[in-house]
Amino acid sequence: MSNDKKPVLALFYCQNTHESGETERQSLEKEYGGSLRLFPIPCGGRLEPLHLLKALEDFADAGYVITCPEGACRYFEGNLRAKKRVERTKAMIRSIGLEGERVGILTNTDESRKPLSVLAGEVMDRLADLPPSPVLASSAQAGENPVRQTDKGDEA
Amino acid sequence: MITAEQKPIEKIREMIAPYQRILVLGCGSCVAECAAGGERETGMLASALRMAAKMDGKDVVIQGKTLDRQCVNEFVIQLDDLIDQYDAVLSLGCGAGVQAVAEMYPEIPVIPALDTAFLGETKSQGLWVENCLGCGDCMLHDFGGICPLARCSKQLLNGPCGGSMEGLCEVNPEVPCAWQMIIERLDRFQALERLEAIYPPKDWSKKQGKGPRKIIREDQQR
Repeated sequence: MSNDKKPVLALFYCQNTHESGETERQSLEKEYGGSLRLFPIPCGGRLEPLHLLKALEDFADAGYVITCPEGACRYFEGNLRAKKRVERTKAMIRSIGLEGERVGILTNTDESRKPLSVLAGEVMDRLADLPPSPVLASSAQAGENPVRQTDKGDEA
Repeated sequence: MITAEQKPIEKIREMIAPYQRILVLGCGSCVAECAAGGERETGMLASALRMAAKMDGKDVVIQGKTLDRQCVNEFVIQLDDLIDQYDAVLSLGCGAGVQAVAEMYPEIPVIPALDTAFLGETKSQGLWVENCLGCGDCMLHDFGGICPLARCSKQLLNGPCGGSMEGLCEVNPEVPCAWQMIIERLDRFQALERLEAIYPPKDWSKKQGKGPRKIIREDQQR
């Protein structure tokens, strides 16, 4: 894997944090090519560490979640839960030798809600210098099809 | 329920290092309730171990499955059709679950991924507390429903010790004084006279005096 290659980001986002619809999601993915995969979730609290782990295992160099500002969650504490789950995931990937920066959370601003395109851009900028994931580098060397292997892992 | 915590991943990786095909086996009962070994935790651990193996360049197969209960043979036999595919099982069951699987499949190593902790109660979300020692001779009726053996740091049957401060234990100030709670409960029932009884030393023979215990119920047997 070349170092010039842009990191692939799995970006989970709370659908309530902005007005973004399916059209914006599709146009963003088109704009960023293969380096951005967007996953709308009904609330930040729906995010599980497994979502981030599977993304890192299968295709992503980093996994992030965008939530509503603190105190503004429609379901009261979904954004707080997301924060804790990101921290847990971070600890888990650190324990296997991956950089903690490969997962993270971005909270939308309270004053003026930023659109998805701006938030996604902020995360992509943050990850610009992130080296390729050693997990995916070894998969590529071994000529594996990561998606196929993951399916096997879940259905044993 | 039985509570447990996951061992450090470093330790788990060390234990599974000799094996190439590993089944990460969760349990959907007690350890799922305490968020240590349920389907979710099994998926997370399997995913993390697969990533770790890839980074190490190891060619291993790590797959996950969760049984409803690992400590009941009727559930464990669900592994019959797939156990031959693996050379080790990494169990996220409690100690009883690990041993039940190991006994069912003696030809395959069963490795514990959890440290089994205690018999406890889910106090609130993310908080589990020990409140039963499984002594085999329950005395809760004498103590207002609060076990002095499990919940008093000094395991006093004839308390209080007099060392508690503002209702908290002097041994561990994070723990409420069990005897303070016992007195408050008995007072509520107008049964404070029970405190005048002198309790002899606990008969521990009912817990571990004759080795591992068993319960036989002929009406439940075939």
